[in-house]
Formats: sequence, C-alpha cells, structure tokens
Amino acid sequence: MRVRALVIGLGNPERGDDAVGRHVARLVAAQHVDVRVIELDDPSEALEAWGTADTVVVTDAVTSDGDPGEIRVVDATARTLLAGSWASRGTHAFGLAAVVELARALGQLPRRLLLVGVEAKRFDHGTSMSDAVAAAVPAAAAAVLAAIENEGEDA
Amino acid sequence: MTHKLTQGDQVLHVDTLARVEGEGAMHVVVSDGLVTDVELRIFEPPRFFEAFLRGRAWTEPPDITARICGICPVAYQMSSCLAIEEACGVTIPDELRLLRRLLYCGEWIESHALHVYLLHAPDFLGYPGAIEMAAERGDLVERGLRLKKAGNALMTVVGGRSVHPINVRVGGFYRLPTRHELNGLRPALERALEDAVETVRLVAGFDFPDMRQPHEYVALRSDHGYPLESGSVVTSTGRAFGVADLATHVVEEHVARSNALHARLDGVTPYVVGPLARYTLNHDRLSPLAQEAARDAGLGVECRNPFQSIVVRAVELVDATVEALRIIEGWDGASAPSVDVPPRAGVGHGATEAPRGLLYHRYELAEDGTILDAKIVPPTSQNQPSIEADLRAFVQERLDLPRDELIRQCEQAIRNYDPCISCATHFLDLTVEER
Repeated sequence: MRVRALVIGLGNPERGDDAVGRHVARLVAAQHVDVRVIELDDPSEALEAWGTADTVVVTDAVTSDGDPGEIRVVDATARTLLAGSWASRGTHAFGLAAVVELARALGQLPRRLLLVGVEAKRFDHGTSMSDAVAAAVPAAAAAVLAAIENEGEDA
Repeated sequence: MTHKLTQGDQVLHVDTLARVEGEGAMHVVVSDGLVTDVELRIFEPPRFFEAFLRGRAWTEPPDITARICGICPVAYQMSSCLAIEEACGVTIPDELRLLRRLLYCGEWIESHALHVYLLHAPDFLGYPGAIEMAAERGDLVERGLRLKKAGNALMTVVGGRSVHPINVRVGGFYRLPTRHELNGLRPALERALEDAVETVRLVAGFDFPDMRQPHEYVALRSDHGYPLESGSVVTSTGRAFGVADLATHVVEEHVARSNALHARLDGVTPYVVGPLARYTLNHDRLSPLAQEAARDAGLGVECRNPFQSIVVRAVELVDATVEALRIIEGWDGASAPSVDVPPRAGVGHGATEAPRGLLYHRYELAEDGTILDAKIVPPTSQNQPSIEADLRAFVQERLDLPRDELIRQCEQAIRNYDPCISCATHFLDLTVEER
C-alpha cells in the first residue's frame, strides 16, 4: 500500500490543550490506514522524523488571538512561520516555528509541509483538554486529510 | 526585543530571552552607576510535583518525575530510583547500574549537543540564533543535529523512546536491550565521537570574556568514572559527605519574586553545580581521550569561567560518547532486567548528575510503599543565587555599554548556565532599571 503522507502529532499529553495535536493525529490514524502517523513531545524531533517524506502534515496546539478550538491551516513550504503563534510551550527547547525555519535554512524541508493548528488556551500541568479544544479534534482531523488531498490548491 | 522609556526612570525590557529553556525574567537595578540588585524572576506557577507524589505508590516516581523536564527526564528517573531503592534497602546489580549509565550518556549527548550548537554557539559566532547560523554555517548545525540524533538513538534503544523514556523502573528496567540492538548503535556513536572531538576544537577557539566564579563548587564523585548515575558529594572547599546528608547541608529558601526555591549550602554560601563544578572536581575521572581533548582546548585542572562552560560541555560530550561505546563494548548481558524492590517504611535519598548539575530526590515511604513525603532539588534552583551574584559583577563592569549590547551580553551570560527553567519552573524577560 502506498503511504500518502506522514502526519506528526505534537504536544505534551500532560499539559491540557497542548495534547490536541496528538489527539488529532490519533484520529487520523484510526480512520486512514494509508497515512503514517507518529506522536512527538519535542518539535526538534520532527526534523529527524520527516526525513525524506514527500508530504508531511504537523498537527499542534497554536496560540494566537482566535477562540479556543479554531482551526488554522498553514502551508509552511510557501511562507515563513512567525515564532509567536507556533512557539514552544513548557519544556520544549525548540518551538515548531524554529524547527521549520531551521529545516528551511538547511534545505531539509519536505516537498509539502502543512501545519494544522488548533487554537488552544489552557496549558496547566496535569489537566485535560478544554471542551472547546476537544470538540475541535474531528474537524481538525478532517482538515489534515483535506490538506493532504488538496495538492495543487496550496499555492 | 522592545525598549520602553517610562517617566524619569529608564527601563529596558526584553520580551523573551530566547534560547533559554522555559520563560522568565531578569531585572537589574542601577542606582548612581552601581548595580544594586539583580533578580531572576520566575513566572510559571509552582510545580506541585512534590505534593502530588504524596499518596502515590513507591513504584511511580520514575514515570511521574520524568515529566518535570523534556530535556533531562533520565536524570529525574535515575535520582528517584536511587532514592526509593535506598529507602527499601535495595542495591541494584552492577550490570544494571552500567545500563543506567549508558542511558544517562544518551541524555547528556542529546542535551549538551542541543545546548552547545543550537542555543549557545550562535552567541559566540555572532548570529542572532541557530536559524541564522544555519544559513551560513549549515555544517555546524548539521553536526549538532547529528550528535543529538546519536543521543536520541541511544535513549530509544535503552529507554524505549528518546523523550520521557518508558523502560525505566524502580529496581532496573522493564526490558534489556539485545546485543544486536546495542551493536547497531556503534556506527552512529563512533561518528558522534569524531563530531564531539571536533566540537571541542571548534568551541576552544571562541573568544571568552574574562570572568571567574568565586563560589563553592559542588558535584558528585564516584569510583565508577566521571560522575553520572552514582557517587557521593564533594565540594571545592574540601567538604565531602554522603548523599543522605545533602538535605542537612542544603537549605532552601523561598524568595518572594520567584516561584523557584533558592538553595544555599549550610544556609549561607551560594554554590554552583553543573559542568564547571563537575569538571573541576572530577577532571581526573574523565576518559583519557576526554582529558586529552580538554588539554588541547587549553583547560587546566579547574575551570571557573562560566563562558568556558561551552568547552566543558563539549569535553563532556566526548566523555559521554567514549563511555557509551565502552559500556556497549563490554556489555555481557544481565541475569534479569530488574531486581525486586519490596516496600518498607523508611527514608531514601538519591542524587545523580543531570546535564545541568546535581539533582537530588528524597522520599519517605510508609510500610506499604505509599509515599508520605517527597523532596526534589533541581540544579537550576541550586545555581540561582550564584547566577545572580555573577550577573551583578558582570553587569557592573559593562554599564557603559550601549543598552542593546549590554542586554545581548547578559543574555549570553545567562545561557552560560544552561538554565533549565522548566525544572526550576520557568525563566526569562530582562529589564534594566536606572534609578
């Protein structure tokens, strides 16, 4: 079977909404066998994980001015990421934005790299996801699939 | 970086201090040309790990405390295992101690490679950060990532995964790595050794501002080589005591501005743990290759300049890689992945050398193994008073610098200590206030 894409779910499962990237990735894994899915705590490992993959979708919690649960899709191959929204939380030494830009500088970006972020708010240790963020998981998983399939519309 | 000028007073403000683990702030007060105060403020809500360990089973701390830090989870696992095993009166067999040491080497390689190449080298080479450095010196960033990857691979084989290992338990491991798996690590580790030696050569050539720490150095010392997974406590003034006596020597005080507790030795002396202390107190325990690298880099038998901590980290990268290869070479298997650690009422202490310095745990257990009390003293909270004292002297000598440059140099100076604020709660915003 041809693997269509690699999906990386990022986040700390013990820090509230930060777990959302992992939950989205798990739902994609449960629904689609032709997508390879991994979960990571540390964004700096994403660089190693995507290796030579052609199409990669990273799902993660994002903090901007939106409402909790809002979904944002960004084509990282097409534009520079601003650290603010995709910065690290907690123990991550290197935020996702830094990892993506490092890969860009080293010429190690996959051909297609898409980020599906879920607006998050609560990052307390030992808490579960907030209701609004948990409710957004199915729509975010659908956005991941759409991102994989919509090749050609990225540009 | 933003600058705000308020009425009368001058306040310089840095939004975030990049390339330090976590989030926090540094505040410098200058009155009539004299630095009157330097504070490191720590923002993140206090961690309640010590509180929520109470009532849990004696088998749980390795997994629970590993979550305190994504960069040094092995340190938390190792210190907690030692403490609980001591409370239960169990000593693990030497082959399992060696396997712990091997896992710990992976964490050191991972952590030091990250700090040296991605967080600290850009300061010395004049880049704002690793991304800008990657554009012109991609070779260096790639070497750092290659080293980190070798550490990750070692953690994955021995620990089950590269972050927050799942294979560690009180009494040993859940599963032993196979000979085949360990041999599979050798090519990457041999390459890592070459990379580590190159790293020492690279960082030895950096320019280091003059600075000398006057503080007492504290580290473990062990008969098993450079200290990682075991040892008793020694200090640069000649004190020596067992880990069980740490609690009586280290006094922690709560400081209003910070969520981290500040530790002092016997309640008075600021002291330093970490690479400089380890090196100064254990130089003779390094492998011959690491000693040679240190000598070639111009290090003497002690190193007290915090700016040269990057050189010591690089030497420790060499040592950790040599150690990992040595342990794999001599690995003869173990009769079982773990030994039984039946609970009993008692108190146990454990200390190991996290990449950032000595990490101490103490647990009090009930007869059935329920945790009655837990205490965790991470490296950064031990170093905080000495960091503040160092920065006070550092800023005083540089008050005539342009503000941007002063702030840049302060940031670099703070990174010397590789503060893991996630462990000591979180770090850094910088303000310089003139009154």
